[in-house]
Amino acid sequence: MVALDTVWGWFVPYLPVVVIVVLTIVIAWLVHAVLGRLMRPSTPQMAGTARRLGVVVVVLIGGTLALQALGVDPTVLLLVIGLLGVTILVALREPLSNYGAKYFSDVYTPFKVGDTIQVQGVSGKVIEINAMTTILLSDSDQLISVPNVAMIRDVVVNTSPQAWKEVVVPVSIGSAVDLPAFESELLKSLGKLRTRLDPRFPPVLTTKSRTPQSTDLVLTLMLRRPEDRDAITVEANKRLAELLDRMRGVRRSA
Amino acid sequence: MTHRGLTDAGPRGDFRLAPISLCVNTQTPLVQYLGNPDSGRLEAASRDPTDLTTLREGVDFQYSPGGVTRMVFPLVRRLLEAQVVGEVHWVALNPHAPPTVRLGKITLHNLALDGDRMAGYGEVKEAIWGRIHEIDAARPRDDLFWSEAFSEYAYYNRRTAEVIQQLDRTHDFDAFYIHDFQQMPVGHMLATVKPKIFRWHIPFDASVFPDQWRALLATYLDSYDMIVVSTASYAESLLAWRPEANVLRLYPYLDPADYGRPSRSTVAATAKRLGLGPTDRVALVVARMDPMKGQDLAIRALEGLREEYPELRLVLVGNGSFSGSRSGLGLSKSATWRQHLEKEATARGVRDRVLFTGHVSQEDLDALYERAEFTILPSIREGFGLVAVESWLHRRPAIVTRRAGVAELIRDGVSGLLFDPDRPEELEKRMRQLLDDRSGRLRARLVRNGRVASRQCTLDAAAKAEEAMLVGATEA
Repeated sequence: MVALDTVWGWFVPYLPVVVIVVLTIVIAWLVHAVLGRLMRPSTPQMAGTARRLGVVVVVLIGGTLALQALGVDPTVLLLVIGLLGVTILVALREPLSNYGAKYFSDVYTPFKVGDTIQVQGVSGKVIEINAMTTILLSDSDQLISVPNVAMIRDVVVNTSPQAWKEVVVPVSIGSAVDLPAFESELLKSLGKLRTRLDPRFPPVLTTKSRTPQSTDLVLTLMLRRPEDRDAITVEANKRLAELLDRMRGVRRSA
Repeated sequence: MTHRGLTDAGPRGDFRLAPISLCVNTQTPLVQYLGNPDSGRLEAASRDPTDLTTLREGVDFQYSPGGVTRMVFPLVRRLLEAQVVGEVHWVALNPHAPPTVRLGKITLHNLALDGDRMAGYGEVKEAIWGRIHEIDAARPRDDLFWSEAFSEYAYYNRRTAEVIQQLDRTHDFDAFYIHDFQQMPVGHMLATVKPKIFRWHIPFDASVFPDQWRALLATYLDSYDMIVVSTASYAESLLAWRPEANVLRLYPYLDPADYGRPSRSTVAATAKRLGLGPTDRVALVVARMDPMKGQDLAIRALEGLREEYPELRLVLVGNGSFSGSRSGLGLSKSATWRQHLEKEATARGVRDRVLFTGHVSQEDLDALYERAEFTILPSIREGFGLVAVESWLHRRPAIVTRRAGVAELIRDGVSGLLFDPDRPEELEKRMRQLLDDRSGRLRARLVRNGRVASRQCTLDAAAKAEEAMLVGATEA
C-alpha cells in the first residue's frame, strides 16, 4: 500500500504530460484522417505529404506543450530550432528549391521521361528527372542538365506528339496493399471514365521502381478532349485515393 | 543463387561468365496434375517443394501437350546440359498443382487463380487469340482492353510479375524469358533493368490489330529487350510497326532424336486397335480440337474424294489444349468443336470415314505417322506448324496451309504441297495428287526435300541460336 502511494506520488506531477501526449496522439490521428479525406482530389503523393506535414505540426505543438508542463522553458529550444532551420534553408537554398521543384513538377508539370521538351532556350528528350535536375538529350547527342526549379519558374513546352492528351498520376503502393488486386480494381473503376478518354489508349499502370516496402507506379490516362484535363485529373485522383483507402490493410490474397 | 562474373576457363573461351540464372515464364505449365484420387501421392505432392521424380507420369501427372514440352523444355534441358544456364525457375499457371515442384535444376512455380478471375482472363486471351488468327469476325472485340474481363487479364499478369519479382530478390536472375501472347504484359510489369526476352509463338501480323489495341500492345512489346518470332514475315511485320524493336527470327524446333521408326508389327497393332483396316489409305491430321485448326476443311475435301477413293480414311488426332483440359484451365472449346466436326462429317456422308482418336501416346502417334500416306495441316492460320516438320521426320509428305509459318520453308511441289484455306477445293486437289501418285515419285521428292527443310527446325540449330541470344543479352 505504501509502495502504491509512493508510485502515485511520483506519477502525479507527470499526469499533465501524459494527458498532453495522449491528446497529441489522438489529434495527430484525427488530423491524418481529416486531411486524407480533404486531399482526395489531389494526387496520392500530395495527399500523403499533407498528412505527414499535419502530423508533424501537431506533434511539434504537443511536444512544446509537454515541455512546458515539465517546467522546461521551450522558448530557447524553439529559438534554437528556428535558427537552425533558417541556417539550413539559407545554406541549401538552391538544392532545396530544386528538390521542391522536382516534387511539384512530378505532380503538376506535364512532361515525363521520354517526352521531348523545350525550356530555357534548349530542347531535347527527357531521359532522367532526378532530385536536382532534369537531364535532356539533344538532337546532337548532347546531355543538357536543367535545374528543376526552371521547370516551375520558366515556360516549358512539351513538343511530344499528343502530349496534351496525357494525364500522368504518380502512385506509391505500400506492401500491405495487394498490387494485382489494386490494379484490377483500378482498371474497372477507370473504365467508368471511358467516355472522356481516348478509346485508342486504355489506362496503363506502369511500374517505375520497387522495394520490399513499396512500389512506385505511374498511371497514364489519355484524354479525348483537352478541356477535360482538370476534371479527369481530379476524378482519377479521387478514385485512386478511395481505392487505396479501401485496400490498405486488406490482406494480400493468395 | 548464382552470380555472374568471370570464372575459370571453360568451353566458351579462355574466360567465360558463370552460368546464367534464368527465369522462364509460360502460361501453360510443363506438367499438369491429374488429381487421381487413388494415387495417394498427390498428398505427398502438397508438401512444398515437391520432387517430380517421386510422382508417377500418367498417374499423378502428365507433361503438357504442345510447345511447352516439345520446345521450351528440351531447350532448357539443353542449355542446362551445356552449362550455359545454371538454374531455371519456371513460373506458369497451374491451378491444380502444388505451389513448387523440383525437377533437377528446374524449379516449377505454379500459380493459381480463382474461378471468376480465370473466366475473365480466359475471355481476354481467347479474344486476342481469335483476332490474331482472324477467326473472330462473328464477334470482334475492339473494345476488349476496356472490358471488365481485361482487369482480370491484368490481374493474372501482375500476379505473375509479382511472383517473378519475389523470386528475383532471392535468385538474382540474369535474364527473364517470357513466352507467348498470354504473358505479354509481364515484361511491362517487371521493374527491372535486367534483360527481358519475349517469345511470340503465334502468327504476327500487325495489320490485324484494331486501332483500340495498338497503343497498349505497343507499350507491352516495347518493354522487352528482345522479341523472338517464328518466321521472317512475322519479323518484317513487327519491325515495320516497331522499328526500334530488337527482333530475332528463330524457327520453332524439334529434336530429331525423339523420332524413331516403329516396327511394322507395332504399326499394325496400333492401327487395328484404333479401328483402321489393313487396306485403308490414311490421311492424317495432328492438331488440337480448335476451330482455328481447320479440321472441317479436311472433312469437306474428304467428301469430294469419297467416291473415287473408297478406302480413304481421315484420322484426326488431338484433344483440347491446356486451356481446355480439366487439369488445366477448364475453358473447354474442344468438345464443342469436336461435336461440330462430327455433325459436319455426318452431314457430308463421311462420318464412317473419319476417325477421331483424341489424345494419343507418343508411341501411338509414331505408329499413326508411319501408317499414314500423307499428313495435312489445314489451319486457317498457324503460328508455325511443327507437325509438318514431324511429318518430314517420319518420312511422310505434308499438305500445308499457306497461312502457316512453316509455309515459308516449303517450295510448292518440291518440299510440300501448299493450299489456300479460303479455297477448300485446293486441298482436295492436293490430296488427289498424292492419292494418284502411283509411281511414288512425287511423294519421294516431297519427303527428300522436306527432310532437308526440317534441318532448319532442329533443337541443335535452335539451341545454338538461343544460347547466342541469351549470352548476348546478358553480356551486352
